[in-house]
Amino acid sequence: MDSSSEYLSLEEPNRAVHLWRYTPWKRVHPTGNIRDIPDEVSAPKLSLSCIEGEIPDGVRLIHGSGKVEGLPETDATTSSFMRAITEESSWTVEVDPGFNAGKTVVLEIDAGSSISAVHVCLKIGRHANLELVTLVKGDCEWMGLLRTGTSGEGSNTSDVVVNLMDGGTLLRVDAIHIDRDSQVTAGTISSGSEMTKSDLRYRMGEPGGNLNVLGSILSANEMSLDHHIEIHHDAPETYSRLDWHSACGGNSKTVGTGMLRVAEGSRGADAAQLFQNLLISESAQADSIPELEVSENEVVGCGHGTASGPVDEDQLFYLGTRGLSSEQAKSMLIAAFLNSTLTEMGSQEMHDWLVEMLSDDLVSLGT
Amino acid sequence: MSQSNEAREAVGDYKAGWHDPENSTIRFDFGLSEKVVRDISELKNEPEWMTEMRLKAYRHFVERPMPTWGNSEILDGIDFDNVCYFLRSSDETGESWEDVPEDIRNTFERLGIPEAEQKWLSGVTAQYESETVYHSIREDLESQGVIFLDMDSGLREHEDIVKRYFGTVIPFSDNKFSALNTAVWSGGSFIYVPKGVSVEMPVQAYFRINAKNMGQFERTLIIADEGSSIHYVEGCTAPTYSTDSLHSAVVELIALPGAHIRYTTVQNWSNNVYNLVTKRGVAHENSKIEWVDGNIGSKLTMKYPAVILKGEGSHAEVISVAYAGAGQHQDAGAKVHHLASNTTSNILSKSISKDGGRGSYRGMAKVMPKAENCRMNIVCDALILDEGSRSDTYPTMEVGNASAHCEHEASVSKVGDEQLFYLMSRGHTEAEALGMIVNGFFEPFTKELPMEYAVELNKLMALEMEGSIG
Repeated sequence: MDSSSEYLSLEEPNRAVHLWRYTPWKRVHPTGNIRDIPDEVSAPKLSLSCIEGEIPDGVRLIHGSGKVEGLPETDATTSSFMRAITEESSWTVEVDPGFNAGKTVVLEIDAGSSISAVHVCLKIGRHANLELVTLVKGDCEWMGLLRTGTSGEGSNTSDVVVNLMDGGTLLRVDAIHIDRDSQVTAGTISSGSEMTKSDLRYRMGEPGGNLNVLGSILSANEMSLDHHIEIHHDAPETYSRLDWHSACGGNSKTVGTGMLRVAEGSRGADAAQLFQNLLISESAQADSIPELEVSENEVVGCGHGTASGPVDEDQLFYLGTRGLSSEQAKSMLIAAFLNSTLTEMGSQEMHDWLVEMLSDDLVSLGT
Repeated sequence: MSQSNEAREAVGDYKAGWHDPENSTIRFDFGLSEKVVRDISELKNEPEWMTEMRLKAYRHFVERPMPTWGNSEILDGIDFDNVCYFLRSSDETGESWEDVPEDIRNTFERLGIPEAEQKWLSGVTAQYESETVYHSIREDLESQGVIFLDMDSGLREHEDIVKRYFGTVIPFSDNKFSALNTAVWSGGSFIYVPKGVSVEMPVQAYFRINAKNMGQFERTLIIADEGSSIHYVEGCTAPTYSTDSLHSAVVELIALPGAHIRYTTVQNWSNNVYNLVTKRGVAHENSKIEWVDGNIGSKLTMKYPAVILKGEGSHAEVISVAYAGAGQHQDAGAKVHHLASNTTSNILSKSISKDGGRGSYRGMAKVMPKAENCRMNIVCDALILDEGSRSDTYPTMEVGNASAHCEHEASVSKVGDEQLFYLMSRGHTEAEALGMIVNGFFEPFTKELPMEYAVELNKLMALEMEGSIG
């Protein structure tokens, strides 16, 4: 069955499940008619570069994408729809085995027309060491980003996606397989688009997988940001952490839903997820639903937590005694809150570059 | 072999799994229809408004689809046409145990209810199948104006109060099972505590299903007037049959300003009972509602005690434990809605899954935009004791006010090898050690129970742990 037929064969997603509870599919769909697969979808411009210097050998952007094995198999609504509209617009970031350039590679996706969509497939070779930032920007009414991929055995990947769109809607769908003994740091930075719906799924299908999912979410003005993160432990001795920080200002609404699923047989699984929301303005809203399904008793531990609250009064007072105005102190604390996950996403080079890029947004969020 | 011995052999360790021969005075045919609803109401000689409400609820029940969340696999197994919706075992409610038919009295004696009543209770109501068969209240409480009646008598004798509050906390349209309960309710408790009266010792209700394929739909309404307090305890058991029974209750609590209601449940239905219960309380200014909820039995429990914090300064407390053994799914949890400023809530949930059982926590914690300075704290701990068992946590936290401090944490783990080793090095067998660890795990719940219940629960859990290792 091709992707279009698969999508059309599906029923309307059930709003009783948390993936669709807060931002229903109808609101995210580019035309609002969920029985429709739009024809006129343009391909955004893609380019590969480095923060410093030339692109090293061993990493390349290739037109077209192949099938990836071992991806999580749950609700197929977003993945089948995205496959259907990106058949003509798919790319692969291919990384050679043993690649280790010590540089941050940047994949820039520039969307310009009313409806754009692209499929990016990550093929990371065995024992490769990659730091990749995917930058989504442009002025587009609706942008769809499908990312599939697998980390090669024993590889170490920092995979950071930054949303800097001028407005509009972003639908991001990730399906990533973490192979044997590989480490993946999956970072999300969201500071653009009026509406974002992310459906991020990671599966550890082989022993020894190690996943660290991080989020730094800047939610301002009238933004509506809904991130759903699924982590599947389907093999023994797998490890995952999720740390998601959202700073919520203006009249914005942020939603973080997490599903941590530990299958029977995943002995020695060690999993935890934490959602933290900093409420900056009176009319901002933050919803967190970290779900946990554990079917294995021989686990190291599985847990989750969520916390929501305003900027700490004691910390504001302390900074005030050091001569900072209340606005400066508030901005500093918001930046520190978001930076605590940002610093874990990759190298110092990448961190400095990202902070510079986001500094204006951070200042405007605190005021 | 006697009938009760046969039953005991069939039910194994479930001590309350025997059944008595059925001696009903009125028994409806299986199945639900508008006529059944009208007949129940007519039989009870109810006022017209109640009949109308029942009929509206019935129509809503028929139209409303089954919930698609939760364990649909088990839930869809309910055959509503194969349930008896009304069965009267005794023509009147006894005020002394001598008035209760002998076979029913024997049942409650075996369950230890009359003994407990003498020792530590302010009042007792005992429901057998659809209706209350025994009811008593201490005279001194009665003289202070405390009303403690079965719900049918409450409607007859205090229609004005019932009409004012019935269905205001949980309307029939709330969910499919609240609609079912409103349509066919029978029995349950009606309590009114006057202003400033503090009921020191708990009142207890005991619910027993005896017949096969029985549906029990009790309805409880507790109103604690300003500055009053009450502790209500309920227990439930049923015989083990190869066919399923249905228990679908609705409990409404109203804590008026400064009042305190504690509602304790020890649910130990046999493993052929669907336990689908809606419990909710409204807390007014500076009042407090506590749900202490233990779920040990049943095939599928879906129960999420809720508190609406409507008045400023009100507080909600939910302590919930669940034990899910073979073939059981305990889908329990809690809901708290902070509607007013300076409201606080604490939720503590603990569950144990064993022998392929599944324990789920499902919760909703919500702070409304106009509720300033609210605080909530939710902690869920789960133990999985063996292979094939499962534990889930589905919490939802919606925070609409920036001044709120909200925290949730959950953990799933196994019993620590070092804990077992330590206790065994002190001379305990593995089973004893595990029993002690499990009782310790449940301690925050058991310490809130009246002593007799706590002792009984500890024994029950130790029994459940036998043979679970090695």
